[in-house]
Amino acid sequence: MNVATPFTTMTTSQTVDAPSTERILENLSHPVLALNAEGNIVYANSAAEASFGGWVIGLNIRDLFPGFAPASANVAEASSLVLVTKKDVAYDATLTPLGSAQFVLDLRLSTGPQQLTIVPDLDDLTGLAKRNMFMSHLTGAINRDDSASVAVHCLDLDRFKMVNDTLGHGIGDLLLKKVAERLTGACRKGDIVARLGGDEFVVLQHEVREPADAEKLAARIVDLVGRTYVLNGHTINIGVSVGVAMQGDFTQARDILRNGDLALYEAKRAGRGRYRVFEAGMDDLLHKRREMEIDLRRALALKQFELHYQPILDLSNDTVIGFEALLRWKHPVRGNVPPLDFIALAEENGLIVKIGEWVLRTACLEAASWSDGMIVAVNVSPLQFKADTLLETVASALEKSSLSAERLEIEITEGALLDDTDNVLQTLKALRELGVKISMDDFGTGYSSLSYLQKFPFSKIKIDRTFVASANADSEAILRAVAGLGTSLGMAITAEGVETAEQLARIRGERCTHVQGYLTGRPMAPEMISSFLARPKPHQ
Amino acid sequence: MTASLYRLVYYSRNHVSGDAAEFATHVDDILAKSRQNNRRDEITGALLFNAGCFAQVLEGPLEKIEATFERIQQDDRHGDVSLLALNSIAARSFPNWAMGFVGTSNGDAERFAGISASSGFDISRLSGDQIHTLLRDLTIEEEAVA
Ligand SMILES: Cc1cc2nc3c(=O)[nH]c(=O)nc-3n(C[C@H](O)[C@H](O)[C@H](O)COP(=O)(O)O)c2cc1C
Repeated sequence: MNVATPFTTMTTSQTVDAPSTERILENLSHPVLALNAEGNIVYANSAAEASFGGWVIGLNIRDLFPGFAPASANVAEASSLVLVTKKDVAYDATLTPLGSAQFVLDLRLSTGPQQLTIVPDLDDLTGLAKRNMFMSHLTGAINRDDSASVAVHCLDLDRFKMVNDTLGHGIGDLLLKKVAERLTGACRKGDIVARLGGDEFVVLQHEVREPADAEKLAARIVDLVGRTYVLNGHTINIGVSVGVAMQGDFTQARDILRNGDLALYEAKRAGRGRYRVFEAGMDDLLHKRREMEIDLRRALALKQFELHYQPILDLSNDTVIGFEALLRWKHPVRGNVPPLDFIALAEENGLIVKIGEWVLRTACLEAASWSDGMIVAVNVSPLQFKADTLLETVASALEKSSLSAERLEIEITEGALLDDTDNVLQTLKALRELGVKISMDDFGTGYSSLSYLQKFPFSKIKIDRTFVASANADSEAILRAVAGLGTSLGMAITAEGVETAEQLARIRGERCTHVQGYLTGRPMAPEMISSFLARPKPHQ
Repeated sequence: MTASLYRLVYYSRNHVSGDAAEFATHVDDILAKSRQNNRRDEITGALLFNAGCFAQVLEGPLEKIEATFERIQQDDRHGDVSLLALNSIAARSFPNWAMGFVGTSNGDAERFAGISASSGFDISRLSGDQIHTLLRDLTIEEEAVA
């Protein structure tokens, strides 16, 4: 007899006795809330009270679900969303408008992690998705059975920190908002732009039929984000570096993002303000660089560095007046690692500051044992200037070694003068006041702006070896011009990389005052110096 | 209370290709939109172009100028937008033009030479008339090197 079961014997007469909607609501096992236009809770059923800890009427919905953000401004239709409480309990929710700016929110405990709905998790400042939300979108897109694939663009703003430091966080935040707008504007509807933190953004591009589609967007991003901003009357120029990774056959969300990061790293290394597409070799490269970095970090402690010294010859009397200290890395497995292979890396990770300090101290100590008056020239990286400790390091190296300041020559490259010039000039002046000589290294290789020579009275200009090596008319003209200029500014001129007697003869004719090179002396270990100085004059 | 007035001057490279008629359509379109928006935003100014470049003066409340420039900046119809000046001004130079327009490049190099010698590129010291001349000359210069 199934008449006894209440569910199967509904008759029209019973609908008359139907319980009040209020009672039904109160007896539902899942929470139901009603909200007004401001999101304030105006009704909560018992399940809601029980689930959210008592009296919730009068609270704002964001007090329960901090991330509450209706999917669209279109409030005319019901929308489903996933809401997460402060205690990370997730609900599948349906928000239905009741008219007159009221809503009912029907909440069911989420059934598990495999749900496809995406938890809205938005960045307060820009309104863009945050990392978790981005990852869910990416995972969803990859798993979708779809012939078109996706691309991920990892972005890093160039010079953002400078804007923040010089114009303040207020402007920095405004700038981030504008960047977010431009990114959104550059993308198609459905693409996801997210802010991962700080000045790091990432874009998920859908419907990438061929790599060119992704490259096109990357190029557009570089162009658009790099255009001038006008904010509160300030004109701001920043750039963006982009790393692009395409969805491969077996890629996971995390892999794509990592590949994008690797490509971003390459874009930054290549000079920023550009994009790079991930290539298979990139992880290998990075891996090698990481290993090198680990070795480099240990090298100082393990005393793998040495200084060798290359003689500097005064052309007026053909005598050696001192030596340039050159860094050598003797690695137990790699062997002799040339500076070209590790200096750039040391500059990238900042190790150069520590290494440079060691070089200064060691060079001063060793030079102090040389015969009277011999100078020692030491290369200083632009980063050492930025580190703000250079002056202190030099002063203490001189003091500890008892080397007189006139015997130390600091060599800087144009790179040091490129940015933050005022600070650098101050440091240079302070160094000169200590009595230290300052020379401009590698002149002719970078911007070679003559204004650098005017900004600071260098004691010496070192002309890059390329102008010495090539015997063509142009190189000679440049050599002559720089030598003439230096002479008239009262600066000594060193020609570097002199290897043949013919080159030496040519340089003598060009008003250079000093030379350095294999011909006049190869770099040597410190213990060779005394015998080198004791030998009879070799040249002419 | 009226917000203080600002003037922004830029020039850019024209990306609109096609024949004269097509170009004219684009310019008409830009002008129509500009006049409509600028009237709303209390912006006045002038736009000029020749075959290679646009140059524009925008004057009005800073906030509006910034928002408008942000839109213009991202417009596909031009690129390489170079901002020449952004400064506060005492009065408008184009009070009656939601967007005035000078479209032909009649060489006025001598007159420009006089202006640039006396005031360089200090736009704020130029009258509206002089700005025209300056901008026109910039575009002529650009055309010559293009
Ligand atoms: C050279 C050039 C000058 C422009 N000048 C203006 C302008 O003065 N005011 C303006 O609102 N839009 C100007 N625009 C158009 C904007 O780039 C943009 O298309 C328009 O402001 C969009 O308006 P809407 O959002 O109302 O559709 C200009 C575009 C170009 C290429």
